Amino acid sequence: MSRGVVRTRPFKILSSEDVDRIHSSSLDVLDQIGIKIYSVRALNILKDAGADVDMKAGVAKIPSYLVQDALDKCRRPVRLCGRNPKYDFTLDDDHVHLCTDGSGIGVLDLETGQRRDSTKKDVEDCARIADYLECLNMYYPLVTPLDVPKHSHVLHELDAAFNNCEKHVTSGTTYLREEAVFAVKMAQAVAGGEDELRKRPLLSAVACTSSPLVLGLTTDAAIEFARAGVPPIVMTMPLVGASSPVTLAGPITLGNAQVLALMTVLQLDTPGSPLIYSSVPMAMEPMTGLFAAAFPAATMVTLAHIQMSKHYKLPIFVGGWGSCSKIPDEQAAYEKSIMGYSMVLAGADINSGPGLLENYTILSYEQLMLDHEMYTMMLETLKGIDVSDETIAMKAIMNVGHEGHFLGQKHTVQHFKELWMPALSDPRPYQAWAKDGARTVVKAASEKVKEVLATHKVDPLPKPVQDDLTRIIKEGEGGIPR
Amino acid sequence: MPEDKQTILLELENSVKNLQQEAAIEAAQKALAAGVSPVEAIEKGLAKGIREVGEKFARKEMFVVELIYAAEIMNGAIKVLEPELKKSKEKRSSLAQVVIGTVAGDIHDIGKNLVKIMLEAGGFEVHDIGKDAPTENFVSKAKEVSAGIVGASSLMTTTVSGQKDVVDALRRAGITAHCMVGGAAVTDTWAKEIGAVYASDAMTAAVTAKQLVEKRG
Repeated sequence: MSRGVVRTRPFKILSSEDVDRIHSSSLDVLDQIGIKIYSVRALNILKDAGADVDMKAGVAKIPSYLVQDALDKCRRPVRLCGRNPKYDFTLDDDHVHLCTDGSGIGVLDLETGQRRDSTKKDVEDCARIADYLECLNMYYPLVTPLDVPKHSHVLHELDAAFNNCEKHVTSGTTYLREEAVFAVKMAQAVAGGEDELRKRPLLSAVACTSSPLVLGLTTDAAIEFARAGVPPIVMTMPLVGASSPVTLAGPITLGNAQVLALMTVLQLDTPGSPLIYSSVPMAMEPMTGLFAAAFPAATMVTLAHIQMSKHYKLPIFVGGWGSCSKIPDEQAAYEKSIMGYSMVLAGADINSGPGLLENYTILSYEQLMLDHEMYTMMLETLKGIDVSDETIAMKAIMNVGHEGHFLGQKHTVQHFKELWMPALSDPRPYQAWAKDGARTVVKAASEKVKEVLATHKVDPLPKPVQDDLTRIIKEGEGGIPR
Repeated sequence: MPEDKQTILLELENSVKNLQQEAAIEAAQKALAAGVSPVEAIEKGLAKGIREVGEKFARKEMFVVELIYAAEIMNGAIKVLEPELKKSKEKRSSLAQVVIGTVAGDIHDIGKNLVKIMLEAGGFEVHDIGKDAPTENFVSKAKEVSAGIVGASSLMTTTVSGQKDVVDALRRAGITAHCMVGGAAVTDTWAKEIGAVYASDAMTAAVTAKQLVEKRG
């Protein structure tokens, strides 16, 4: 389920003058000191288009008109599809969506609660939970499997995702061009061919830029994806105070410049291809120099990037819901809800982060359920308030008169299902709750996960497609550098 | 030609079960016209419907708002039957007579009303003495109807002592009815302390009430 933000006024942290200033400063950065690029292909693309490129240093100074042209060419709106078309959705600027976020390398075991390495089974199990959760629109494998050959982990993630989830899939860990080539082949196999994938992108893929001012090898992967019609999620992750200035307008500018640089490369190479702006900053804890994904500075930089993306009329994928807590506890709850809700209120097209702890590195199955519950509460407020004869309910007010109650009114019966209903929150009084085992909400979430894993069925991929995926993984294990 | 009695009883039951207010009134009028006894119309029609709603509510297949609405529908239909019911010698059968009210000083009665509905759905005849009810009203009503159970509700901590007053007054008057207490300010410990039985919500109240009268036999 996606929900519109039209009725509410999206929260804005920057004035429109500030937005213009960040934009022009970003252009100045790209034009004056340029960006360092590890992809020879990208350097050549920019050089051919007229940028001032120092091939030896690997630095491209990108003139503003190239950036502006590229912005004009991006495909709008971006559509993301699931292998079951009922899960297709369009990033139309009016709706918010939810994605899981990755990629962790560990799991809080559902049975023992102990930390352990993540496995392909975790990627499969989470895929089925993602398929089940009503308000989750797309699945980004929450963890990377550590029990498969290391160089082909991306392909195993996609295998687990496509086989166990009918919704749109995002790859968060593709780094090399070769990985992208095989990832695209897998998506094409599921979609039914090259053209089919282009028409209905079942896959999107994160392409992370590096701060300060670097486009790494992931650039080559992004180029492959864009050519195949797989929308790259062009991400910036500035560390406030370390890989970017400590004052927030600095990371906002730097991150924005990096996104614009990769966007320019992609639109020069494949004009009119779809892409998604993305921001997942982290904030420094000044005493120790450690970083946290959900401290206010990170939230504020993300909020500003949401505004920048809307200024460019590009959809945005935000990391939110980060928490540096190690377990699903009170800290995780308040960090995730404050950060997550502010992103939703700002109208971020894709919100991500449910399920992970310790700065997006540890999966908690319970947290995944809890975060989804929080999100349903957030979405509810986006419905806004309908003010009409029917909703003022003058007739019911007259009927009930003084004292009395509205519980037995026909109007109430007609409308009560519009109210939010909890899946996990327990409204019962103490006695009833205690009698039923005094279950904490984390325990309730754990039971819900077990129930879903035991009962939720996902339509399997046709056998020939399953075989294709297995074959492509095998090819990939030979074709991807170790 | 009046409709067949079975059809009318089924219409009464269904109107409550399916939350159709107008249909319930119509079916009650039809019952009178066809000469169906009002007690039968209630017990084999309306009450069957409300019991089914109550069971669905307990299984979480229906919502509290629907349960209350069903009770309103039933009461609306009973109002139609009432003049005939008063004339009739037949009495409605019930598990026990229950007197229920919110104690003196407290005007919160939604919880008490829910309990009343659940008790009625469970087969009790409930006499509601309302909210902010003086202690002596609990006693006089209990005497009048030979109550098997007296229920006193209190939401506020400031009025919860009114429940003790009710229990004490009943005992002083020699009334041996079971006392049930509930409400947001009430705990199990408090109930035991004053010699009453605690129920935390409407569903529990109906179950507890049944256990109490069955124990007595």
